[in-house]
Amino acid sequence: MAIDYSGTATDRARTRARRAAYATELSFLRRLDWLLAAAVAGLVGYGLWAINGITHHDVEGSPHYFFARQATFAAAGAVAFALALALDPSRLARYWRPLYGGTVAVMLLVFLVGPVTRGSQRWLDIGSFRFQPSEFGKLLFVLALAGFLAERAKRINEPRTVCSAVGLAALPIVLVFMQPDFGTALVYGAALAAVLLIAGTRWLMLAALTATVLVAAALILWLLPAMGAHVLQPYQVARITGFLHPDSDPSGATYNIAQSKVAVGAGGLDGRGVAGATQTNLSYLPEHATDFVFASFAEQRGFFGTAVLLCLYLLVVWRGLRIITVARDLFSAIVAGGIVVAFLFQIYVNVGMTMGIAPITGIPLPFVSVGGSSMIANLAAMGVLLSIHARGTPFRRR
Amino acid sequence: MASGGTFLPPDPRVEEPYRLTPQMALRVAVLGGVVLVVFCALFLRLWALQILSGHQYLRVAQNNQLRTIRVEAPRGVILDRNGRILVDNHAGTAVVLWPADLPHKWHLRLRELKRLKQVLHVPINDMLKGIAARKGDPLTPVIVKEPVGEPQIRYLKEHQNEFRGLGFQDSFLRHYPHGPMAAQLLGYVSEVSKQELKQHPSGVVAGDKIGQAGIESAFDAYLRGVPGSDHLRVDSLGRPLGPVAQTTWPTPGSAVRLTLDMRLQRAAQHALAYGMQLARDSNCYGCWDANGGAIVALDPHDGSVLALASAPTYNPGVYSGRVTTKALAGEGLTPQTAREKNYPALNRALVAGYPPGSTFKPVTALAAMQQHLVSPYSPEPCTGSYTSPHDRAHQVFKNWDPYVNEAIDLPTALAMSCDTYFYRLGDAFYGLPLSVGHPLQAWASSFGFGRRTGIDVGPEYGGLLPTPEWRQKTFKTEIDKLWKPGDSIQLAIGQKDLLVTPLQMARFYALIANGGKLVTPHLLLDVEQSVTGGAAPHPAAPAPQQVGVTPAAVKIVQQGLLEATHASFGTSTAVFGNFPVTIAGKTGTAEKGVDPGDGIMRNFDQSWWCGYGPYDKPSIVVCALIENGGHGGTAAAPTALKVFEEFFHEKAPSLGAIHSD
Repeated sequence: MAIDYSGTATDRARTRARRAAYATELSFLRRLDWLLAAAVAGLVGYGLWAINGITHHDVEGSPHYFFARQATFAAAGAVAFALALALDPSRLARYWRPLYGGTVAVMLLVFLVGPVTRGSQRWLDIGSFRFQPSEFGKLLFVLALAGFLAERAKRINEPRTVCSAVGLAALPIVLVFMQPDFGTALVYGAALAAVLLIAGTRWLMLAALTATVLVAAALILWLLPAMGAHVLQPYQVARITGFLHPDSDPSGATYNIAQSKVAVGAGGLDGRGVAGATQTNLSYLPEHATDFVFASFAEQRGFFGTAVLLCLYLLVVWRGLRIITVARDLFSAIVAGGIVVAFLFQIYVNVGMTMGIAPITGIPLPFVSVGGSSMIANLAAMGVLLSIHARGTPFRRR
Repeated sequence: MASGGTFLPPDPRVEEPYRLTPQMALRVAVLGGVVLVVFCALFLRLWALQILSGHQYLRVAQNNQLRTIRVEAPRGVILDRNGRILVDNHAGTAVVLWPADLPHKWHLRLRELKRLKQVLHVPINDMLKGIAARKGDPLTPVIVKEPVGEPQIRYLKEHQNEFRGLGFQDSFLRHYPHGPMAAQLLGYVSEVSKQELKQHPSGVVAGDKIGQAGIESAFDAYLRGVPGSDHLRVDSLGRPLGPVAQTTWPTPGSAVRLTLDMRLQRAAQHALAYGMQLARDSNCYGCWDANGGAIVALDPHDGSVLALASAPTYNPGVYSGRVTTKALAGEGLTPQTAREKNYPALNRALVAGYPPGSTFKPVTALAAMQQHLVSPYSPEPCTGSYTSPHDRAHQVFKNWDPYVNEAIDLPTALAMSCDTYFYRLGDAFYGLPLSVGHPLQAWASSFGFGRRTGIDVGPEYGGLLPTPEWRQKTFKTEIDKLWKPGDSIQLAIGQKDLLVTPLQMARFYALIANGGKLVTPHLLLDVEQSVTGGAAPHPAAPAPQQVGVTPAAVKIVQQGLLEATHASFGTSTAVFGNFPVTIAGKTGTAEKGVDPGDGIMRNFDQSWWCGYGPYDKPSIVVCALIENGGHGGTAAAPTALKVFEEFFHEKAPSLGAIHSD
C-alpha cells in the first residue's frame, strides 16, 4: 500500500506513527518473507535428495553416508539460520571493525595452523569438524564492508572512500587467493562489486574499477606469463584458458570439462536415474559430490530436475533483490545486495563450469555440494536476508 | 509531495526511514538485469546440452564405459602340397596398453611404464614409441609384449589396480617349424602401419596384423581371419566391471596349401649351401665370393612351383612377437646389416636379375630355327674366336675353349656350348633387314623374358631384354645409343645387357621340356576354409599357352640338352652322365660386373645350370644359380643334381671330371 501523501505534514507524521505502532504489534512470524523461506527450505530438501542420489555409490555398504552427514549439517545450518534471523542486522553495523578484524584473523590462522590438503591450506580443524573459514568469511566480509560503507554513506562520492573500501576488501581476497582458493576469491570480488554498487558508488568510479580489473586480468593471464612472471598457478591458467578453448586437448587439461559436459548432456530430458548414471558411478566425472555436483545431478535427474533446481535458485535471488528495496537502512540494503550477488555468482560459476560456459574453479554449489561450512554459511546468509526483510517491512502491510 | 504551510520538524520518536531512492531502484534494476541474463544463459545452455544434443552425449557416455575389444582371429596355416605344416600359430597372451587410460600426468605415466618395464623387460622407449604411434587413435590398444609368460601375467593381473590402462589379449604368434627354409618366400606378418592402413582395403583397422611379404602378403585375404569383438564394461580406470557382455566370435583364417614340396624345398636349400661351398673350394677367379644363389623347381606341365629357394636366408622367427632391431640386425634384416649378410631378405629367385650366359643359347637356337637362319643338322664351324664381317671395329669375340676348331651341328653346339657357333647366329640376326624387326628379342619375349612371369607371389622383377629401341632410350651419347653387331652377338650367348631371373629361366626350360608351351609359375594349390572345412573359392592356375614354336625345333633343342648331359663332349656329362634318371640340361657361365665390397667392379662368373628330367617324360624342371660360382658345371650343376636326387629318390655316383663353360 502506498504512502498517503495527501494532507498536512502533521497528518503524515500521525499516519507514520500509527503504522509504526501497528507494525510493532504485528507478530514476527507474519513479517517473515515466507516465499523466500519456502524457497530456502525447498533448496535444502531438494539438495539433500540430490546428494542422496549422487553419493549413492560412493561409500560401499552405506549408500546414505553422505546424505546423513549433509542432513546433520543442514540441521546445524538451521540453528545458524535461526540465530541470524533473531539478530537485528542493523545492530551489527557499528561493529564492522571487530567483524573485519575477526575475519582476517581467522584467515591468517588458517595459514598458521591449518592442515595442508592436496596442496592447499583452506581449513581449520576444530575437534572432529573441519571447517572452511572462507565460506563463513563471505558473510562476514559483506557485513564488514557494508558497515564501513554505511558509515561513510555521505562521502560515497569521494574517490577516497571507494579506494579505502577496495583496500579493505583486498586483504581478505588476497588471503583467500593465497590458500590457494581462486574460486572463492572471485566470489569475494563479486560481493565487493555488489556492495559498492548498492552503496551508491558513482558509475564513473565503478567503470574505472571494472576497467582496472579487466586490465589486471589480462596482465595476469597473458602478459605476465608471457614475460615469465607467474601470478596464477599454471593449472589455474590452464583451466581458465581451457574454458575459452574447450576442444584444445580433450584428454589433458580439458578432460574434466569434457566429461562434465558429457554427463550433463547424457542426462537428457528426464535423467538416467541413480543406477544408470555411469559418468557419476564409474568416476569419469571428477569431484562429483562437490565441484561437479551439478553435472552429476543433471545426469541423474535430467532437464526436469535441473530446471526445478535453477527455478528455486531464481526464486531465492528474486526475493533477495526485492529485499534490497525493502531494507530498513542503507547498511541492510548493502548487506542484502552483497549476499544476493555472491549467491548468484556461485551459482553461475559452478553451474556454468559444468556446462563449459564458465572457467573451472572449485566453488561449491549452494545447498547441494557436500560440505558443512558451505551449508551452514549459506543458511546463515539466508537467515540474515530474512531478518532484513522482517525488520524492513514495518511500514507495509500485506 | 504536497506542500504544507508550516515546516514541522521530524518527530524524534519516529526513526527516519531509509528510502528507496530512484538511483537505488536503478541499481537494483541493473542487478535484476544481470540475474536475468545469468539465468537465461544457464537455461539455454542446459537446453542445448540436454535436449538438443542429449542423444549424442548419451552415446558418448555409453561408449565411455563400453570398451570394444577386438578378439584376434587365428591366422590360417600354410601347408605344403603334401599337407606338411610350413607356418602355423602358437597361442599366447599379449600385454597391451590403452593409451586413453594411461595417467595423464607425465611423471605418473613414466612411473607406471617403469614398473611395467621391470615386469616385462621391455624398454620404456619402445612403449613410448608405440603410444606415440597411436596418437589420435587412443582407443586401440598398443601391444607391449607378446607372448608374456604365465607368472608375469599372474603378477600383472593381481596388481592391475596399480597399472592404469593395462589389458590382456589372446594372441597368436606365427611359428615357423622349418626355420629359415623358404623364409623369403613365406614372408612374415606384422602389425599394420599407418601408411598401409590408408591403402589397404576395408576390414583392416589399426592394431591388426597383416602379411608383409611373400606368401603371407600375397594370400593375406585368405589367411587373415575376421576378428571377433568383446564388449566389456569398464570404469574410468579401465578396470573391467563384470564379465564380457557380448561376443562376436572371431573367424579363423583359411588354410592355404601351396604347390611347394617341403622335402624338395629343404633339399634345394641344402643344395645351395653345398653349391656355394663347392664354388668356394674350386679356386676359380671370384669364387671366393660365392655367397648367394637361387634354385627354382617347377612342374613343367602346369608351372606349379615345387621348390623355390634363395640363399643366404634368415630365421623368420625374429618377426614373431616383439620385434627388436637387435634381433633383426642379427639376421641381416636392417639396412645397416643387410650388406654384410649379403641381403638375406632378397628372394633371389624372383627379384634378382643376372645375365643368363650359355643357358640362354636354346633361345637363340629356337629363334634362329624359327627364322630359318640355321639348318640344324648342317655342320657349321666352331672356332676359337669370331669377328663379325658387319663390325667395322673388328672386335674379336672368343670362344670359352680357344683350342676348338671343327664343324658341328646345332645339338652338338648346344652340348659343347660352342660360343662362336652362336656368335655367328647372333650376327645373322644383326644382318636381317629392318623390316623383319628384331626376331631374336621377339622370340625371347614370347618365351617370357623381359617381362614378369605373373607368379602369384610378389614382388617380381621382369628382367631386361635389350632392344635397339631400349638402347636409344636409355643411353646418352650417340655411340652408346647405337645397336652394334656386338650387341646382337653377345645377346645370342646371353651376355652384355640381358638380365633374367632364375624363375624366368626355369619357366623357359619348362617350355622346352613340355614341347613348346609357356606355363605361368604359381604357388597356390588350394584354400581350405577353417569353419566349414570345404574348399574356398580361389582363382584357378592359368593354363599353359602355346607360343607358336615348331615342335620339331623344340625336339632339336631337347636333343642338344640331352647331349650336353650325356655325350662325351657335353658340359655337364660328368655330373649327370651316370645319374640313373635321364636328365637333360644346359650349363651357363655368365660374366657379371660385381662389386665384392671394396668399391671396385670386377667381372665374376655366375654359375648356372637349367634342365629337366626324366628326358622322355619330364616331371620336373630345375634351374640353379650360384652367385660368383664360376663355371656352370662346377657349382650350379652339382647343386641342381642334389634336387634331382631328392626328387627321384636316387643317389648319383660320384662326380666325374668336369669340362664345362
